[in-house]
Amino acid sequence: MAEKESTVYIVDVGASMGSTQIGRDVSDLDFAMTYIWDKITSTVALDRKTATLGVVGLRTDDTENELSHEESFEHISVLHEISNILLPDLKELRSKIVLSSTDNGDAISAIVIAIQMIIKYCKKLKYKRKIVLVTDGRGSLDADPDSVQEITNKIKQDNMELVIVGVDFDDAEFGFKEEDKDPQKAKNEQIFAELAESCGGIFGTLQQAVEELGMPRLKTTRPVHSYKDQLTLGDPVEYHSAACIDVERYPRTMVRRPMAASRFVQKQDPTDGSTSSTGTVVHDGDIPMPDADGNELAGVKSSRTYQVLDEGAPGGKRDVDRDDLAKGYEYGRTAVHINESDENVTKLETQKKLEIIGFIPWANYDRFMSMTVSSVLIAQRTNSISIMALSSLIHALFELESYAIARLVAKEDNPPLIILLAPSIEVDYECLLDVQIPFAEDVRSYKFPPLDRVVTISGKVIKEHRNLPDDALSSAMSKYVDQMDLSTFGRDDDGNPSEYMPMTDTFSPVLHRIDQAVRWRAVHPTEPVPPPHEILVRYSNPPEELVNRSKKRLGKLMAAADVKKVPPKVQGRRRNRNEVKPLSGLNVEALLGGDQKKAKVSAQNAIPDFKRLLDSAESIDALRDAAQQLGKIIEGRIKDSFGNIAYARALDEIKSLREEMTEMEEPALFNDFARQLKRKLLAEELGGNRKDFWWEFRKSKLGLVDKKATETSDATEEDAKSVSYEPLPPLSCQTTTDLISSGH
Amino acid sequence: MAENKWKPPGDDEEDDEEVDETAYKTVKDAVLFVIEVSSSMLTPPPPTDSKKADTDSPTSAALKCAYALMQQRIISNPNDMMGVLLYGTEKSKFNSENDATGNLSYPHCYLLTDLDIPAAEDVKALKTLVEDEDEFRKLVVPSKESVSMANVLFCANQIFTTKAPNFSSRRLFIVTDNDDPHAAEKAAKSSAAVRAKDLYDLGVLIELFPISRPDQEFDKRKFYDDIVYNQVSTDPEAPAPISGPAKASSIGDGISLLNSLLSNINSKAVARRALFSNIPLEVGPGFKISVKGFIIFKRQDPKRSCYVYLAGEKAQIATGVTTELSSDTARTVEKVEIKKAYRFGGEQILFTPEEISSLRNFGEPCIRILGFKPISMLPIWANLKPATFIYPSEEDYIGSTRVFAALHAKLLSSQKMGITWFIARKNAAPVLAALYPGPESLDENGMQTLPPGLWLIPLPYADDIRQNPEITTLIRAPEPLIDRMRLVIQQLQLPKAKYDPGKYPNPSLQWHYRILQAMALGEDLPEMPEDKTVPRYRQIHKRAGEYVLDWGRELDAQHEAWLKENSSSSSLLMGTGGVGAKRAAAAGGEGEGEGAGRKKAKVEEMDDAGMKKAFADDKVGKLTVAVLRAWLEGKGVDGKGKKGELVDRVTRVFEAK
Repeated sequence: MAEKESTVYIVDVGASMGSTQIGRDVSDLDFAMTYIWDKITSTVALDRKTATLGVVGLRTDDTENELSHEESFEHISVLHEISNILLPDLKELRSKIVLSSTDNGDAISAIVIAIQMIIKYCKKLKYKRKIVLVTDGRGSLDADPDSVQEITNKIKQDNMELVIVGVDFDDAEFGFKEEDKDPQKAKNEQIFAELAESCGGIFGTLQQAVEELGMPRLKTTRPVHSYKDQLTLGDPVEYHSAACIDVERYPRTMVRRPMAASRFVQKQDPTDGSTSSTGTVVHDGDIPMPDADGNELAGVKSSRTYQVLDEGAPGGKRDVDRDDLAKGYEYGRTAVHINESDENVTKLETQKKLEIIGFIPWANYDRFMSMTVSSVLIAQRTNSISIMALSSLIHALFELESYAIARLVAKEDNPPLIILLAPSIEVDYECLLDVQIPFAEDVRSYKFPPLDRVVTISGKVIKEHRNLPDDALSSAMSKYVDQMDLSTFGRDDDGNPSEYMPMTDTFSPVLHRIDQAVRWRAVHPTEPVPPPHEILVRYSNPPEELVNRSKKRLGKLMAAADVKKVPPKVQGRRRNRNEVKPLSGLNVEALLGGDQKKAKVSAQNAIPDFKRLLDSAESIDALRDAAQQLGKIIEGRIKDSFGNIAYARALDEIKSLREEMTEMEEPALFNDFARQLKRKLLAEELGGNRKDFWWEFRKSKLGLVDKKATETSDATEEDAKSVSYEPLPPLSCQTTTDLISSGH
Repeated sequence: MAENKWKPPGDDEEDDEEVDETAYKTVKDAVLFVIEVSSSMLTPPPPTDSKKADTDSPTSAALKCAYALMQQRIISNPNDMMGVLLYGTEKSKFNSENDATGNLSYPHCYLLTDLDIPAAEDVKALKTLVEDEDEFRKLVVPSKESVSMANVLFCANQIFTTKAPNFSSRRLFIVTDNDDPHAAEKAAKSSAAVRAKDLYDLGVLIELFPISRPDQEFDKRKFYDDIVYNQVSTDPEAPAPISGPAKASSIGDGISLLNSLLSNINSKAVARRALFSNIPLEVGPGFKISVKGFIIFKRQDPKRSCYVYLAGEKAQIATGVTTELSSDTARTVEKVEIKKAYRFGGEQILFTPEEISSLRNFGEPCIRILGFKPISMLPIWANLKPATFIYPSEEDYIGSTRVFAALHAKLLSSQKMGITWFIARKNAAPVLAALYPGPESLDENGMQTLPPGLWLIPLPYADDIRQNPEITTLIRAPEPLIDRMRLVIQQLQLPKAKYDPGKYPNPSLQWHYRILQAMALGEDLPEMPEDKTVPRYRQIHKRAGEYVLDWGRELDAQHEAWLKENSSSSSLLMGTGGVGAKRAAAAGGEGEGEGAGRKKAKVEEMDDAGMKKAFADDKVGKLTVAVLRAWLEGKGVDGKGKKGELVDRVTRVFEAK
């Protein structure tokens, strides 16, 4: 459970904050607000009622605070009382925080107001109390030593944290010093520094604070155990020689996903008619702010209908009532229906247990077999004998450089898992770490040829081959790899060599990018989202210094490697068909003799016949003839198709036609066919309404071959798009369901 | 996490990565077994003295393989097709549909199982044939005249083009012992070659599973080298040089024909599918080679439950169709209309689809090496999901293979790994991944068990790393106790000191399908099968029992000593931890037999040292009220009141000292 917290931000909006300093393109106030908004929105992002904050304006035009009757509290306004902050509050604050036209207003008094606010809100309850003051330090301070002392006492007594951040404050540690500092400001900085120090707070310069904003915040999660029972060796029920240790298991790694988005659509104009059902639809979720054009939005929900195959129904499918459906499983293409009473019949009954199966040496485990996130296993915390027992296992495993393999059933009737348990011993911590490892069914036995030798078809082993590195390449690679070492490239806090980019310094780019964008958008609804923080892309490239250092070796490596890019045109192009031969090298074409030129494409063996015809074609006319023959067959297939039964085959043939014509650099022959096909389909010349075929065609991405794909094409990208997408109207109602089912 | 067993498939909104994974799974595979029936194929091997006497004739062994593969594929590739065609049979059978339209006939070709996703009846038919000798003898009768191979191949051609036209992977498994079916007929041989070429043009891959006769080695050069094509040209997913064709299985050479056939077929059973193709692997700035990615390890789960339509003539699977509706008017919404918003401060912050995709976009797909670290810098816990296997491809960059091989060799010999910035697909979230070298490993027969290549192991970001749970008391086991545990471990090495996944089928997955099969075939529910993941208790007892008992006695003694030492330092209270904890903990010894196994409800107790440590570490507040109360009452201090007060009281005890 996270602690309750309460923070008051004091924002200096005095006239002097309106100036812009050399080296920055925003005013001091905007600069300060970068920091404040980030802090406030990160509190809002927590989405916790107990995370509260308030905002006080310093050097405001008006005066609005409880002590306003006293002169020293003039020009201080409470802009927002402490509360849980929601989006509307942010909007309100945005309109309230504006540059004033005065330089009057005392920062010390503002701190007093903030203290009052906190006392009033938090009472004696347990809260994390904090006051953050951001100012340029140019106002006059009423730093009467007695009252300052009193403030210090109060802050310490109530355990508040005071943070004072200043525009261009000097900070030796950060390495900033303002030139020609105004003496008044210098004096004020002095006072602030002393005040912060005396109550154990923080004093710093804004530049540093803003630079640190990019550093992602890590959420801490309270550990929740995933298993809490015994670790056993042997069967304690059957054998008295079994060992049992009380243990608890907690997550060690767990993927943290970016926040989830919900889906919305523009609301339709109510005058559009047929909106009478509004009352029956339940809104699930919040209604969002209107979009950029001021349109109202509505949530999106999914509705699910069920269909079964029915040869009699149009499209071969028919909707069925949810009530006629029973639960079941597929066994191959057979539906196995399971009575509700037998719901668990396929479930293996298991007992909650963690049992050691055996041990293996470290060296015999392939690290890449680990399947899952990891966990940590410790002895039950208050059980000294179990702690000692587990410790002996941890140390023995460590000394023997071994892992334990165990079977885990985390809860009753959960499927058993196999885990690898590894010992971990640190100065003040001992535990076992575990990951799941694969079952037999989880491994795919793909075979790949060796990388250190080439075995020919005749079984001969070759050590020198164009696919094997020669000595020069091996040695250049070895030197390059050694040069690009990251293990000592980093620097620790004391400047000593250390590991570069340890995992704890890397942050999930997408997660924090979305977080950044959402918080930015909340405060700046109309502005574009700024680029990602540097830290999020820092590790997308090797460190520059190392790259420069390794340039020479990389050059040598590239020279030894002699890698050549395959020109895009050649890629994917059909090799000379004469090269396609069976293992024996038999020339199959020759077997056919000379009469193949007269051969026809048969419907039964369309694709091979077609390809064979292309191989023997010596003129463009012959190509055209082959393409037209295949085209006829395809049209015939669609025309004669019972329902959609022959569609897949027709599509396969169209694909063949398209590929071959592209490769032959005669895309026009295919494009002609495609245009014709579309015309015939729309004209219902191919056995009635076959629009559903056209949808399949589009879905298979078999549209015109455009200029982008092949330079010799007669079709531009626009042509291709228009043929694929245009006049085909939204489908007629009767077929809509079909189309959705076929892939939308 | 609440688990909803009956959730219809596809209902949950998966994030982009998962969606891509399913796209990968839809690469469908169709396998047609073509098994020869002839007198030699029906001759069982001569009887031997061997314990594992081989009684299967080649045809029968092939059918058993097909049956095993069918069952296996229902589990592992539920969307893939399979068929079985016998040739050389007396009878002929082809699907009627085509007979009607084409009036074709394929004499002596018997289509036992039409190419399709297997149904329960198909499994049953094969099962009957495999298990019932009478059925087998009735059906599997060799024809007296010879069969035209051209005809067989064309028959296969028709099966593929009608049943699996748009499958990206189509394979023909030929099982035969006849290495020269048309020895004397040149024309027949030629037309077979032409029909084989047709299959090649269709993208059908022929895999030959030859069987050597006892008196004669199978010689592929006689006929089959004209039929079989090199895989490279047909299979775009295969890496440049291929794994060799299956070795000939033979009868009566010790290892049973069935087993050798099974292992040959198993090695080809799964169509190799690339997860991604030709992504650039950037070895250094401006230096790229191309690689493909494969999934070797993936958790195989039972297919999710579905809805079955019962009101019709026979039970049918109902397919769900999801429609997106606007919640205000319930009108149907097109995908392009949908905008995404994030909840923030009680409201929704809206982004256009373009903004969303630009937020998620961190560049083009690539595997970019940032540098290298020793593999010892990759802790065992730094893991999130299975690794992806990568292997070079010459398609984009000629010379990729030799560069990859050089990198692989260097990383292996220096025990280093690459650290990479990895974007698997367009708009996929970038991942930092270790590029980890894996050696080729072979089994005792020289069969590859793990391929040589590099593995991309996704690394956790700081966001993904959880803190260790706090421990209040650290008790290091004394040396003598560790010594005894070491002896225990040394007795219980796994066979060959290795974890071989092949030895551990997933018990719940197997059970699920075994039950389904029984229900689908209308059989009795089976007995509980052997669960290979259950430890071998008897062996553990026999081999290590004495050592465990020894360890247990030492543990008791050492714990006693520890208690004494640690309670003397703080003279106050009761020696907690002892009795309760001892029962809870450990092994053997006297009179522990019945108590040791069962877990008992226990009030957690904290001993003095533990509490002292907690106090020193300022962690008293983390303890539960029960623990605090028990400890205080043990000290004779009032244990009532709110937690804060209890903490204060504990604190006072120590501060007073």
